[in-house]
Amino acid sequence: MSSAISATSETAVKRPKLINLLFPSVITGLVLGVAGAALCGWLVNMVTTSISPDQVPNDDAVTAAVYTAWVLFFFIGIGAFNGIFKWGFGRKEPSEAEEMQLAGKDQGVWRYFRYTTDHKVVGMQYLVTVFVLFFLGSMGAFMIRLEQSVPGAIFFNPETYNTIVGMHGMIMIASTIVMVSGPFGNFILPIMIGARDMAFPRLNALSYWLLFAAIPVFFSTLALGGFPTGWTGYAPLSVQELTPGMDAYCFLILIFATSTTIAAMNIVTTVMVMRTKGMTWGRLPIFVWGVVFSVILSLTAFPSFIVSQMMVLMDRIYNTSFFLAASGGSNWLYEHLFWFMGHPEVYVIALPSMAIAAELTAVFARKPIFGYRLMVSSMVGISVLSVLVWGHHLYTSGSENALGGPYMLDTELISIPTGLFFLAIVGTLWRGRIWVTVPMLFIGGMLVNFVIGGVTGIYMADLPTDEILHGGMFVTAHFHFTLVGAMVFGFMAGLYYWFPKMTGKRLNARLGILHFWLFQIGFLGTFLSLFYAGLQGEPRWSANVALPYANANLVASLFAILIAASVFTLAYNVIHSWLRGETADANEWGAKTLEWAVPTPVPLENFEGELPVITSLPYNYGEPLPDLPSTPAPEIDITAVVIETPMQPQGED
Amino acid sequence: MSEANIEGNAGGASPARQEPRHMRRVLIIWIVSSVVVIVIWLLTVQFILPAAGSALDDADNITMSVFTIASIPVAMFVFVFLAYSLLVFKTKGRPTEDGIPLYPRPALQISWLGITSVLCLFLVIWGLFAFYQETSAATTSDTLVVNVTAQQWMFTFEYPQYGMSSTGAQMIELPINRPVIFHVTSEDVLHGFAVRALGVRVDANPGYTTSTPIVTPTQLGPDVVQCVELCGLYHSYMWEAINVVSADTFNAWILSQGGHS
Repeated sequence: MSSAISATSETAVKRPKLINLLFPSVITGLVLGVAGAALCGWLVNMVTTSISPDQVPNDDAVTAAVYTAWVLFFFIGIGAFNGIFKWGFGRKEPSEAEEMQLAGKDQGVWRYFRYTTDHKVVGMQYLVTVFVLFFLGSMGAFMIRLEQSVPGAIFFNPETYNTIVGMHGMIMIASTIVMVSGPFGNFILPIMIGARDMAFPRLNALSYWLLFAAIPVFFSTLALGGFPTGWTGYAPLSVQELTPGMDAYCFLILIFATSTTIAAMNIVTTVMVMRTKGMTWGRLPIFVWGVVFSVILSLTAFPSFIVSQMMVLMDRIYNTSFFLAASGGSNWLYEHLFWFMGHPEVYVIALPSMAIAAELTAVFARKPIFGYRLMVSSMVGISVLSVLVWGHHLYTSGSENALGGPYMLDTELISIPTGLFFLAIVGTLWRGRIWVTVPMLFIGGMLVNFVIGGVTGIYMADLPTDEILHGGMFVTAHFHFTLVGAMVFGFMAGLYYWFPKMTGKRLNARLGILHFWLFQIGFLGTFLSLFYAGLQGEPRWSANVALPYANANLVASLFAILIAASVFTLAYNVIHSWLRGETADANEWGAKTLEWAVPTPVPLENFEGELPVITSLPYNYGEPLPDLPSTPAPEIDITAVVIETPMQPQGED
Repeated sequence: MSEANIEGNAGGASPARQEPRHMRRVLIIWIVSSVVVIVIWLLTVQFILPAAGSALDDADNITMSVFTIASIPVAMFVFVFLAYSLLVFKTKGRPTEDGIPLYPRPALQISWLGITSVLCLFLVIWGLFAFYQETSAATTSDTLVVNVTAQQWMFTFEYPQYGMSSTGAQMIELPINRPVIFHVTSEDVLHGFAVRALGVRVDANPGYTTSTPIVTPTQLGPDVVQCVELCGLYHSYMWEAINVVSADTFNAWILSQGGHS
C-alpha cells in the first residue's frame, strides 16, 4: 500500500528526504512490530519450554507475548514514543513548526500513514477503517445466512462456522462502537464546537493506531485455530478452549477497549475545555451531546470489559480459576462482568446515532429541534438507566433471581427517555419543510426499525416472555434491529450528510436512494423472518437449522441477498464518488452548525483567522436568513449574525 | 403553534392560506390504523405463535400477545406521524423557506411522559404478576422430578423417583397432565436448557443446580430439548427429543429403561 502513495506524495511534498518520509510511519511500525513480536515470541517459547516439567511451551503465554510485543514495537516504530523520549531527555517543548509537522502539514496523502495528530486526519483514518471492517463483517454475515439457508450444516465445518459467527459479531460490535464517534466525533465534532483541534492531539493519534494495531491481532485468530465462543466469549468455554485463537479475541478486546477509553477521555476533555466563545452547554449542537454521553458511558463500561478478558487470559495462561467452578470460580462472574460492559455498550452505540438523527432532522425539516432540552434530558436518562440494567441478560442464569424484578423495572424504564427521543424527532418533522434527501431517507428507515427493535425489546425485558425467548433467534433479530436497523442506519445518514464536508465530494444521490431501499427492504425481510423463527423456538448460534425453522431461515437468506447488493452499492458509490464525484459546496445542505461555515477542504487549523463567537443554538430556522457567505471571510460565523432566538417556554425548567 | 412565519422569506408566502387540519387528519389515521393492525394481529396470532404445550407456555403466549397489543398504538404513532410528515410536508427539491418553529408545550411533555410511564408500569406489573403466577406453584408428592445434566454436547436425564437414568441420544418421555420440575446442571461449560413448547428455559451452570418452574405438559406428542447457550464445537447438534405420552405408556417406558415403578 505504501509505494504508490509515497510516489504521489513525493510530488506533493517539497522533496523531503526519503528517510524522513519513511521514518517514522506505518511502514517502520509494521517492520519493527513484526520483528519485535517474532523476537519476543521466540524468547517466551524458549523460557516456557525450559521451565515446564515436560518441556512443552505454553502456547497461550507465547501468543500473549507476541501480541504485547507487536503493539509495543509497532508504536515504537510509528514514532509514538519519540515525543516522550525527547521530553524525558530534557529537550524543550516542541515548537509551533514541529507541532505543525506532527499534524501533517504539507505531507499530502502520506500524512494518513503516519502518527499524525490532526483530528481531521484521524477522522478520515477512522472512516476508512470503519468501511473496511463493515465490509469484512458483512461478508461474515452473508456466510452465516448461507449456512442457515438450508437445514443441516453443509457449507462449513463446525469450527469454521463458530469462528465466522464470532468474528462477524466482534468485528461488527467494534466497528459500530467507533462508527460515529470515530469518524464524525473526530472530524466533525471539534469543528462543531469551534476548536482548532482535539484537547490531546497525540492521544487522538494513539487511539486510532491502537485500533489499527488490534486488527491484525484479531485476524491472526484464523491462523491459530479460531475461537468457538461467539462475540460474548463466555467463560468457562473460553478458558477451556485449547487453541490459542481464543487469545486473539481477548487481546482484541484489551487493545480495542484501551483505544476507545483514550478516545473517550479525549472527546470529553475537548468538549469541556475547547468550546469557542459563546458555545455554552446550552448551545451545544445535539450531535455533540450524543457523542459526549456515549463516550462517558464507555468510560464507565469498558473497564469491566478489560478486566473480564484479563481474567480469562490469566485463567488460560497461569491456570488461575476465576471462572472454573471445579476450583471455586464461577461462570456467573464472567457473565456479570461482561454484561456490565455489554448493556451500556449498546447505548454507547445508540446515543451518537440518535443524536445524528436529531441533528439532521432539524436541518432537513428546516425547523428547530422540537425540545432541545427534552432531547438532552432524554439522553441523560438513557445514560443513567443503562448502567443498571445488565442483569436482564441473566434472567435465566439462576444467578440473581431476587433481582429479576428491579432489573425488569429498570429495563422497562429506559423506554420512557427513548420515547422522549421519538417525541422530539416527530415534533421536529411535524409541519417542517422537509427536504427528502438520502440522509433523510435513512433517518426515516432508522425510526421505523428502531420502533420495531424497541418494541421487541420489551418481550425480552419482561421475565415471563424472556422464559421462551432467551438465547434464541428472537434475541438475534432484536439486537440486529436496534444495532443495524437503527444505529447503522443512523451512521449511514451521517455518512451521506458529512461525506461532502470530509472528502469534498458528493455521494451520488441516485445510488444512495438505491442503497437505502435495497438495505431497508432486505433488512426488514431478513430480520422479520428471524423474529418468526425465534418465536418458534430456534436457538441462536446454530449452524444446523432444524426443519421447523427452515422456511423462515430460507426467506431470511433470500432477503439477505438484497442487503448484500446494498453493501456493494454503497462500496461502489463511496469509491466512485470519492475518486470522481461532483465537488461539494462548502455548505452542502444549508445547515447552520459550524462545520458547514468553514471552507471545504477544511484548512489545517479549521478556522482561518479568529474563532467564531456563538450567540444561539444552531437551529434557529424560521428566522430571517442571513445571506450565506459566498467566500470564507473572517465573519464566517453564520450563527452569530442571527438574532437571538426568542425561546418559547420549555417544560422542564 | 399557529404563529405564521413572519418575514424575510423570499416570495413572501401568504400566511393566511388555507391549511388543511393536519393534526386532526393524522390522529384519525393513527387511531384507524392502530385498530386495523390490532385486528390483524388478533387474527394472525395463532399462526405466529406456536401452539402451547403447557399452561405455562400458554400464559407466556398470552403475555406476548397483550404486550403486542399494548405496543401497536405506540409504534403506529411513530409510523403514521413519520409517514405523514415525509409525504405531506416534503418539498420539491431544496426548501427555499424554513418551517415554522415549534416548541413543546409543558402539557404535551407531561402527558407524553405520563402515558409512556403508565404503559411502562403496566408492562412491569403485568410481568411481575405473570412471573409470580408461573413460578409460585409448590412441589407436591405427585411432582415428577427430572435431573438434567448437560455436557458437551448432550443432555443426560435422570428420574430419581424411578431410579432410572437415560444414557443420552434417545427419546425421553414425560407423562401428560402431571407436574414436572427439571433440576439442571452442567459438567463442563455453560449450556442452556430449553423446551419451547413447555415454556421452560434455564441455564445449565457448571457447579450449580438451577431449577425450572413446575410445569404440566398438556399436549401429547414429540418436542425437543435444545441447548440455547453457545457451548463449543457441536453446539448446533446439542438437542434431545422428548415425547409427552399417557401415564401408562410412561410407566411402561420407565420399566423398559430399567427403572422401578
